[in-house]
Amino acid sequence: MKNQDLVDYLKYCSVCQFCQLRYLKARGNEYQNKQEYFDRVNVDYEEEIDWTGDPANKKKRQNVCPTCLGLFSEEFKEQLLQSIENTDIDKYECDGIVVAISIPIVLQLRQLSMWYALLDKFGDNINLDRAPDVSLKEAIKLILNPTICERLNKSYDISNGLMLTINLSHSEEQEGVSQLEKLNSLVYPRKKGQKSEQISRSLIEKKYTPLRVSSELFKNAFVVPPSIPTESLKFDSVSLIGPSTYVAGRYRKLSRKLSHTPWVLNGERVMDDSIEEIIIRNIAHYFCDDQKKVNFMSSGREDVDVRCLGAGRPFVLEIPNAFRSSLSSALAREMEENIDVSQKVSVRDIQIVKREELIHIKMGEEQKRKCYRALCQIGNIVTVDILKRLDFQNGFEIQQKTPIRVLHRRPLHTRPRTVYSLKPSVCRQNKNLIILDIVTQAGTYIKELVHGEFGRTVPSVASLIGQHIDIIALDVVEIDLDWPPSVCTL
Amino acid sequence: MPTEPEDPLEPYYYNHVPEIIGGIDVPSITEEWVENYPSVVDRFFTRYYYIKESPEPAPYQVLFHSNRVCLICLAPEHPAIKDGIKSFTFDIGNTDRSKNTVKGKGKKGGMVLQHDSTLAILTSEQNKAYKIPSCVQSKLVEVNTAWVEAPKQLETAGEGEGYVAIVLPKPEDCENIKRSLLTQAQYKEKWTAIQMNAAQKLANESNVAKTEQKSAQTEQKSAPVEKQNE
Ligand SMILES: [Zn+2]
Repeated sequence: MKNQDLVDYLKYCSVCQFCQLRYLKARGNEYQNKQEYFDRVNVDYEEEIDWTGDPANKKKRQNVCPTCLGLFSEEFKEQLLQSIENTDIDKYECDGIVVAISIPIVLQLRQLSMWYALLDKFGDNINLDRAPDVSLKEAIKLILNPTICERLNKSYDISNGLMLTINLSHSEEQEGVSQLEKLNSLVYPRKKGQKSEQISRSLIEKKYTPLRVSSELFKNAFVVPPSIPTESLKFDSVSLIGPSTYVAGRYRKLSRKLSHTPWVLNGERVMDDSIEEIIIRNIAHYFCDDQKKVNFMSSGREDVDVRCLGAGRPFVLEIPNAFRSSLSSALAREMEENIDVSQKVSVRDIQIVKREELIHIKMGEEQKRKCYRALCQIGNIVTVDILKRLDFQNGFEIQQKTPIRVLHRRPLHTRPRTVYSLKPSVCRQNKNLIILDIVTQAGTYIKELVHGEFGRTVPSVASLIGQHIDIIALDVVEIDLDWPPSVCTL
Repeated sequence: MPTEPEDPLEPYYYNHVPEIIGGIDVPSITEEWVENYPSVVDRFFTRYYYIKESPEPAPYQVLFHSNRVCLICLAPEHPAIKDGIKSFTFDIGNTDRSKNTVKGKGKKGGMVLQHDSTLAILTSEQNKAYKIPSCVQSKLVEVNTAWVEAPKQLETAGEGEGYVAIVLPKPEDCENIKRSLLTQAQYKEKWTAIQMNAAQKLANESNVAKTEQKSAQTEQKSAPVEKQNE
């Protein structure tokens, strides 16, 4: 089979030049310079009459291509770019894009029809199981994507680009699908009780080749070669989904009446606000329209009545469909100042981080040391002996049962936890008060470590001093996690 | 010249290091102190009681956490505490409660308890056996095996510390359970009445006993004589 014969036949079927190149198995940027490629494969090149040329030729424009339904025509490209430009794409501040074009099934059926036609025409030269053309999916990548990128002046970025989803339809779709359903029940008859198979793109790819389905059966359902369509593809919709952006920082919690996440009991709010909500409402709107989709993650959490001071606790916001993937330091400071207005939470080191860095958050939750300060009270005046018993430079291990306060929703376990150090001091004005600096392994329940929870945490501060001790207040003073990195402000 | 003795606590005094966060001067943790700070039990639990009437009245305390977890304890007025506790066991005959296991957050496998199911048996120094009731229709979560090895310590355990078991009632049962138990005020009233009653009975009995004793003494006096006669 000579290439010239193939192209002559395709031309006879009114197939467009891009599709001719597909059947010539053109690759990469060979689609960008048609003439060069035709010359190279010894096919006469003849310039197509294009509607964008002389306005007088407009009426004489080419028929709609039977194998791509106009997908690769100049007219379609123009419409496509127009549709994209009509979206709010300018809102998205990003350098890369990803294009996902969903094509109607009828388009696939037309590729099949041409396959059978080529078999009739060229017989053994055509493989029965491997398609004779460069697939539409591949051709879109080679022909349309570079055009879109060029026009929008953006790179193609599969991992972090703005996703353009383009849905196409065709007037023959309904008819094509119902014909295929009929054919499918003949070729792959259903067994009793078996559910009828949903017609899908992958079904056609997997089960429809001339090897599996005879030419006669196919021709009973579809015209071979594919007829010249009366209409070209139509745009159903173009939708945009921005990449996920990850915004990290460290929060300090200054209030003892603030929950970590919204606290709802029997459908009612127990507390008006939460750390999560304060942070999201001051940061998310710079990045996205729908704050409800934003996911707040932190390296552990503290109780409602516990403050978190010092350098604070690392957190990340996962913001899907973000229209911004960079952040100036000025804007970051603006966010931080807005959060400070709450007087309950203060955030520092706001910055964009990569998805891969999220592992730090999880690791910090499980492995890192946490430093606390506890205000404790005993029944009588503190003695040097008591203070000495609470002075631990070196660590010790405790066995801690799941605290009663969370036992209704967590499994009962006895967990070993390491207390790395204890350092007591006493309040000059009230000698019943011990201020205890505690360094523990992450996951230690500090309140229970202090009062011992009826003997369910052993040893406890209470058992070490051999008397009752209660905890009045608790602060987290340091979380041993050097992430996200500190941002210098000058 | 006599000098003030040095304060031994001097090296231990707390020094608040000022810290400004988000424009706020963070108050020292010592400012959180309040007078009459309530105990752990007062902060998170409500006290309920159950009096087991037979074989003799014995009161039990249920500490109901706001999250519905319950601690089953002896009430401070339990007669065994005054008498002394000799032994304590979770082996109640057909079942050993200390073999209880729970899995997952649903506490799967926990023994099912009715309010009068026996949790444990304690024996006082007077050799009186008390079957400790569950008080609450629930699932058994945890038992406090400390008392098996050291029953004496139960006599001096503080409030809550002396818990015998931790149980978890179903959320939908909680209101009924609370209604079926005695509140602190109801308990005080009822227990006082029971004790008055018992004291009254004891007084009556002792009058009877005195007369019985007298006749017994006369019998005893004559008994040896009879023996000698044999
Ligand atoms: Zn075409």
